[in-house]
Amino acid sequence: MQPFGESVNGVMRLFSFLPDLSKISICGFGIALMFLLGCSKGRDTQILVVGMELSYPPFEMTDENNQPTGISVEMAQALANRLGKTLRIENIPFAGLIPALKTGKIDLIISSMSRTEERAQSISFSNSYVHTGLCILVSKNGDSHSIKDIDQPGAKVAVKQGTTGHIYANANLKNAEILLFDKESAASLEVAQGKVDAFIYDQISIYLNWKKHSDTTRALLNPFNSESWSIGIRKGNDGLTTQVNQFLADYQSSGGFDQLGDKYLSEQKREFKKLGFPFFF
Amino acid sequence: MSRWVSFGCAILLLSLFLHASFSALEYQWNWESALRYKKKFADGWIATLWISALSLFFAFLIGSLATLCNRARFLPVRYLSMIYVELTRGTPLLVQIFFFFYVVADAAGIQNRYVVGIAIMAIFSGAYISEILRAGIEGVGESQLLSARAIGFTEYQTFRYVILPQALRSSLPALAGQTANLIKDSSLLSVIAISEFTLNAQEVNAITYSSFESFFPLAFGYLILTLPIMRLSRSIENRLRFET
Repeated sequence: MQPFGESVNGVMRLFSFLPDLSKISICGFGIALMFLLGCSKGRDTQILVVGMELSYPPFEMTDENNQPTGISVEMAQALANRLGKTLRIENIPFAGLIPALKTGKIDLIISSMSRTEERAQSISFSNSYVHTGLCILVSKNGDSHSIKDIDQPGAKVAVKQGTTGHIYANANLKNAEILLFDKESAASLEVAQGKVDAFIYDQISIYLNWKKHSDTTRALLNPFNSESWSIGIRKGNDGLTTQVNQFLADYQSSGGFDQLGDKYLSEQKREFKKLGFPFFF
Repeated sequence: MSRWVSFGCAILLLSLFLHASFSALEYQWNWESALRYKKKFADGWIATLWISALSLFFAFLIGSLATLCNRARFLPVRYLSMIYVELTRGTPLLVQIFFFFYVVADAAGIQNRYVVGIAIMAIFSGAYISEILRAGIEGVGESQLLSARAIGFTEYQTFRYVILPQALRSSLPALAGQTANLIKDSSLLSVIAISEFTLNAQEVNAITYSSFESFFPLAFGYLILTLPIMRLSRSIENRLRFET
């Protein structure tokens, strides 16, 4: 005799109007439902979760040991220290950062994100900490010298999905065909191979991509618009916004940004001086 | 009657489950902004439809050819087909897309990304189809081939009346599954800026910052492509059952 035979049979008889398999699946669904409803939304408040896309050197990148590093990472660390919290970096594709912030998966976006009207409709922004602008990578033997030269019928322009280059192209390029890429490297390779005529992105990226493909591409490094990077914060989180703004002001006046610039961007600074373009950091 | 009640029960449970998941998320729905881009969804869906259709046609062509080559008497051809099938099935589609588009197609001077995209999908799916067909053919019992020879069938007759009907029937579910896979896998072509359904949905997502408002139409759009294929495969399967 099995010790539990009787009681199990009694429970099973309750369900006996259903075939066997459905009992199992209904139990499964029930458990899953309870699990979902039972999950509490609370997260450890002592951890500051910062979202960024770690594919934008030297601001957001990973080192040889696959650890996040770069200017934004050091900034986030300084901010976490200031708030007395432990920092956790979440690596999220750029177009997914705002949805992640909105659904509460992360607390802040520090990912070289420019403040735009459209973005400001769904999230709040801190004061800006970097001023930059969009530039253009063109193929070496083309004769484009400005954004106007590029916006021609039959021309193809590459942009990275969700970036300000994408937003600008959608709003302002009337004639050229716009091609969307997920990866910056694919977009610059397209220019290098002559598959597209131009790639619109911010100044430092265009510079770095031009360095990578210097024998096939040309960089138009004079920004044709201006935009500024800010830290993204969930709407209604005003306390945190004030704290972040205070931190940015103090970090600026104590020379934190200058130190980071010397550490990560000294070579680029010298190059830009030599080329005679204004450097942004 | 009871079938419909059971079906309704299943749907009800599923929607309860989804409802519970989303109420736990406290997501703010914003359908209006996603709806404004319905033309983008429609264009993308149509692009996916014809990319999949053309890829499927060439995939069957390549797959059948590879199956034939796999049975060839000239050994180099047989090994070539084997290497093709194993390499294609053993490497990620993403790598194949980048490799074919930026290396092979660039060297060959093919600039049209849609042509390259369809070729990549056809080559990728062709390997799977070839394996499915091979398994189907090899599944036909040795004794049947001997019987066919005993009653004097020619090689062609054996293939047409003994092997083909049985191989086709046994490989149909797998072929239908592979067709559905091809349709879904074509979403990866977005990495080379082919403006298909997934890329367009992602673009709406990026412009409006709505995530599920563009992902649900995406899932639904793929379902209306894949469900009829599954139904069709079932009905052909049933018809072939009477023939054999």
